[in-house]
Amino acid sequence: MSKYLEKLRNCRLAIKQNGGIIGAYLQLFRTDELKYGNHIGTDKYGNKYYENKSYFVARSRWIDYAPKYGYDFDGSQVPADWHRWLHYMTDDPPTKVKPCPDREWMTDHEENLSGTTGQYVPYSTVTPKIHSWNPPKNN
Amino acid sequence: MASLGKAGGLVRILTGSLPKSSPVLTSVRFNQTDAKKEKTTFGNLKDEDRIFTNLYGRHDWRLKGAKSRGDWYKTREIMDKGIEWIQKEITTSGLRGRGGAGFPTGMKWSFMNRPDDGRPKYLVVNADEGEPGTCKDREIMRHDPHKLIEGCLIAGKAMGARAAYIYIRGEFYYEASNMNAAIKEAYDAGLIGKNACNSGYDFDVYMHRGAGAYICGEETALIESLEGKQGKPRLKPPFPADVGVFGCPTTVNNVETIAVAPTICRRGGEWFAQFGRDRNRGTKLFNISGHVNNPCTVEEEMSVPLKDLIERHAGGVRGGWDNLLAIIPGGSSVPLLPKSICDDVLMDFDALVQAQSGLGTAAIIVMNKQADVVRCISRLIDFYKHESCGQCTPCREGVHWMKKMMTRFVTGNAKVEEIDMLWEISKQIEGHSICALGDGAAWPVQGLIRHFRPLLEQRFKDYEKSQELQQSAQTI
Amino acid sequence: MLRLLPNSRILSKAIPPVNISYKARECASKAAETVEVFVDDKPVQVQPGSTVLQACAQAGVEIPRFCYHERLSIAGNCRMCLVEVERSPKPVASCAMPVMKGMKIKTDSPITKKAREGVMEFLLVNHPLDCPICDQGGECDLQDQSMNFGSDKSRFTDNQFLGKRAVEDKDIGPLVKTIMTRCIQCTRCVRFANEIAGVSDLGTTGRGNDLQIGTYVEKMFKSELSGNVIDICPVGALTSKPYAFVARPWELRRVDSIDTMDAVGSNIVVCTRGGDIMRILPRIHEGINEEWLADKSRFSYDGLKRQRLTSPMIKDESGNLISVDWETALLRVCDAITSVKGAEIAAIAGGQVDAEALIAMKDLLNKLGSESLNTEEIFPMDGSGTDLRSNYLLNSSIEGIEESDAILLIGCNPRYEAPLLNARIRKAFIHNEIEVGYLGPKIDLSYNYQHLGDTTTSLENIKSSQFYKEHLSKAKKPMIILGSSALQRADGTAVFAKTQQISNELKEAGSSWRVLNVLQRVASQVAALDIGYRPGVENVRNNKPKVLFLLHADNETVRREDLGKDCVVIYQGSHGDQGALMADIVLPGAAYTEKEGTYVNTEGRAQRTLVAVNPPGLARNDWRITRALSEMIGQPLSYDNTNEIRDRLAEMSPNLVKFDTVEEANYFKQSEELFKDIKEKIKQDSFSLPMIQLKDYFMTDPITRASPTMAQCVKANNKEA
Repeated sequence: MSKYLEKLRNCRLAIKQNGGIIGAYLQLFRTDELKYGNHIGTDKYGNKYYENKSYFVARSRWIDYAPKYGYDFDGSQVPADWHRWLHYMTDDPPTKVKPCPDREWMTDHEENLSGTTGQYVPYSTVTPKIHSWNPPKNN
Repeated sequence: MASLGKAGGLVRILTGSLPKSSPVLTSVRFNQTDAKKEKTTFGNLKDEDRIFTNLYGRHDWRLKGAKSRGDWYKTREIMDKGIEWIQKEITTSGLRGRGGAGFPTGMKWSFMNRPDDGRPKYLVVNADEGEPGTCKDREIMRHDPHKLIEGCLIAGKAMGARAAYIYIRGEFYYEASNMNAAIKEAYDAGLIGKNACNSGYDFDVYMHRGAGAYICGEETALIESLEGKQGKPRLKPPFPADVGVFGCPTTVNNVETIAVAPTICRRGGEWFAQFGRDRNRGTKLFNISGHVNNPCTVEEEMSVPLKDLIERHAGGVRGGWDNLLAIIPGGSSVPLLPKSICDDVLMDFDALVQAQSGLGTAAIIVMNKQADVVRCISRLIDFYKHESCGQCTPCREGVHWMKKMMTRFVTGNAKVEEIDMLWEISKQIEGHSICALGDGAAWPVQGLIRHFRPLLEQRFKDYEKSQELQQSAQTI
Repeated sequence: MLRLLPNSRILSKAIPPVNISYKARECASKAAETVEVFVDDKPVQVQPGSTVLQACAQAGVEIPRFCYHERLSIAGNCRMCLVEVERSPKPVASCAMPVMKGMKIKTDSPITKKAREGVMEFLLVNHPLDCPICDQGGECDLQDQSMNFGSDKSRFTDNQFLGKRAVEDKDIGPLVKTIMTRCIQCTRCVRFANEIAGVSDLGTTGRGNDLQIGTYVEKMFKSELSGNVIDICPVGALTSKPYAFVARPWELRRVDSIDTMDAVGSNIVVCTRGGDIMRILPRIHEGINEEWLADKSRFSYDGLKRQRLTSPMIKDESGNLISVDWETALLRVCDAITSVKGAEIAAIAGGQVDAEALIAMKDLLNKLGSESLNTEEIFPMDGSGTDLRSNYLLNSSIEGIEESDAILLIGCNPRYEAPLLNARIRKAFIHNEIEVGYLGPKIDLSYNYQHLGDTTTSLENIKSSQFYKEHLSKAKKPMIILGSSALQRADGTAVFAKTQQISNELKEAGSSWRVLNVLQRVASQVAALDIGYRPGVENVRNNKPKVLFLLHADNETVRREDLGKDCVVIYQGSHGDQGALMADIVLPGAAYTEKEGTYVNTEGRAQRTLVAVNPPGLARNDWRITRALSEMIGQPLSYDNTNEIRDRLAEMSPNLVKFDTVEEANYFKQSEELFKDIKEKIKQDSFSLPMIQLKDYFMTDPITRASPTMAQCVKANNKEA
């Protein structure tokens, strides 16, 4: 009996944490999952990181992508410092222990743009097959 | 080389393209054999039967001396007897080309007697004597030049030639100057030139010095060279009798062939035919060199046994006949013969062909047991590799390949299977090239493998053993 | 026998031809007509005098060969074609052996096979194994034949590591690349140079295994036909320098086409890969180019990729040409045309325009009310002018040169104006021993000719010349070839009238042989004259049109100064050259490899090109541009596709669509009558030629002027000279 009560409680907590019935429905729609846990931290892009050790390892830490990504969230949007924690390389989130000090030369995290218009295209090393005529300018 | 050139003529007979072989010619020859009782011993030519009486240059070679030896005697009368008569005498004599291939001279001259088409005819004398071991033509030109000039006139008359070109080897400086002097004398004496010998026949003799290529002794290459081009053999057909020098009908004959013609005409074809076996008539200049006590050039009867020839004229093999290893019987381009064959082989065309060799130019190269026969043959291949004209593939590539292998054979750095491979390569060259130089390069190798295969195998084994020894010495 | 030919000329003075026995053989067996021989026991009837190889070919048996080439003399030195013949002691070289009655040829016997394998082995002994990086790979005779006829094993042992023969490469100019180690000494190139090209630059040096092909001293292979040695080389020893390491033959798409660099109309194959022209090869046409191709036609294709007009252009306010789209450009043309009277519009056609573009332009201008359609090339218009087709054609045809027995060349240099025509004359000169007379400045024609003087006086006194008396007047089939540069003189009409008069006197009554020939220089001229263009630009100069179309016209026959200030010049063409420089509006057209066009060669033979690659960028087929323009002007032309415009061509002149046939033109008498009224006299001066030396040959039109290869040729020639 208590097993069922436990489930019910979890469900209630999850709905509560995700912003009520409507919020929970949207979250479920967005991620196919409804979980609750401790909010460990938020990165500079607005992604929120949670942990709930009652889940199995590998499911016990998760990210709630920032609303600005909408449905276009992607694993590469996790910055490197959070990536360590999220993937169980360490138990210390960057809010507690910084993986490395901030340096001047470090660039901002950039998500993977492959497959989008922003992707990298190498310039052509092939000479053009046809050389067009450039009319002389009479200045 | 001159020897090899005429092989093409033989092909023509065999393929039946012979334009006009008169039936009379052949019947004469066969009647003769039936009628006459054949000799069985040959050799020991008597002095009065010698044609080249100044072979050793002991007498005057100039016109006066030549006349005293009977040259230019009644030349006009011989010419007056007419073309048919001269040709008949030559045919009766059974003279075969002395350059090597042994094509019947009478028949060759008769090819020139075709209806006149307005082109002049030419006689070309092949004096490009380059075959290693051969030194007969130079003796003629040096000591008996008038025999050759008279021969040119008579042969020229017999084929209706306008002029004769003597293509002389470039290295023969003294021979060329003697010839030039003799030609001048003959012109001055009115023997050749306009109205030669007062016979009403105009005939010029020119001499052309070559530039030192063995291949120019091949008749068509000689013609090319004479025309001022690179000395590279032409394809046959057309044969020189159709299209020869400067595009005109031409006959190319060896010096010796031409030089014996006047004597044959003077003494009669029958006289000449009494020497030697059937189909191998006449007397011949033999050059004996190598490991003999007394190397020499000597005029002898055809079909003289090889052993007799060496013992009688060359003072025998160094170290005695039993010390003989091998003999190359006809200039460098025929296969060698081991002692077992040399013991009783006769020196004529047919006997040597039977012994799987050839008479060639009758330049006998003797090797005794002190000689390294593999090295000798290797040196010959070196020569052929250097002298190949490079026009056709088998000779250009094949001889080079053979040379590479033979160089290794000398030291023994080869495998036994390579002997068969070399044999096969030589067979791939033989008969596949434009001229006969390819054959001439292949035959010495074939002779070596045929008769000295055990020697080669032994040498390879010895080399292998020595290498092993060396290696083991190094490892210790 | 043939190998004697080059110097047989020397002998022919003193004695009759050398090949008498050959002829005798032919005559003797004429009665028998054919000879029966047996190829692998199969009876074949062959022409007497033909070779064993030809007999085998007739029996359908292919004999491998390297040195043998149908159009060259027989060398017989590769020995690959050895076959066994019954009753012959050794295998015979089939390329050189004439057939004999009842000959039994065995092409498949062990002896034959062994001979082939042996020769092949020897050839490969010193041939480098660099097929993967060899440009000939894939179209190499040695490769193919070693697969078919070679041995299946190798026994070449090189245990001393002596290596194969290596030969230094020779530099023989910017067109032919040599990798001499690959050479198998077949001497095809030497024979080509000596016999066909008439330049004895190539030869062999050394002997035996050191035999090399080369130029004796390092110099350029100076011939206008040099590229052909690339085709005839059976291995990769001679390859194309511009094409080196560019493409593989199996990657290429081949499109049959016609060359437009001269008026000969050589048949070519354009090889393309991925919409890019890789090379141009000749295509066999016995009537025109046999299997040869001139260097300009073969190597100028890189000019098709440079200086191209890829988008329409108009002049902006500051007078600079700027790229615009088609609509803007055509509207601008429309405005220009509609603002003037029809008669104030004119057009000049250049040397490489196809008949379709010509007729579209003509129809458009006629609709607008203009008759001013001109070509850059000049031709005298007085007398019968261009009304009679026989006046401007090479009437006796290129093939007819071989039948001719005496040729008189007047004021032309066929060697550079039409290299393949010159090769034909040389062929006739060598094989038929014809006599050639020549009027004009002394030049090297690659064969001996009788120089009859270089002034017009010599033309007038031609009848008193020895050549006329001894050769021309006695010839059964005499030919007079009149160069177009002689007709472009101020007194062109008089020169033409005189030449025609001489020709008609030489013509035998009742014979259908045509004596008078005009050698055109540019590919479009005959079609333009057929369609009704007026040769020469005098008309434009005098009338000062308000709108001038330049259709591929780049030779500066009209300059900006010759035109009125308000004249709108519209250039339609493929290259940014002189024409585009003086234009107000530029319409990008297609070059000859990019369109389906009809070209008529100097014989009057219509041939068509096919689309090998698409026109670059926004460039379009020329007649379609004109058609689009007509639509915009509101006077649409009546044809929408190639078939319809060809119907229109047929309507205009049926010969334009009878592809690959030469229509006879035969109104010499009438033409002469019309010329009788001409009072003009020939001026006393000397003939001049635009192309005297080889370096003048390479850059003559927009394509060749844009070609880097041609520029290199000129440079190399200047260095050499």
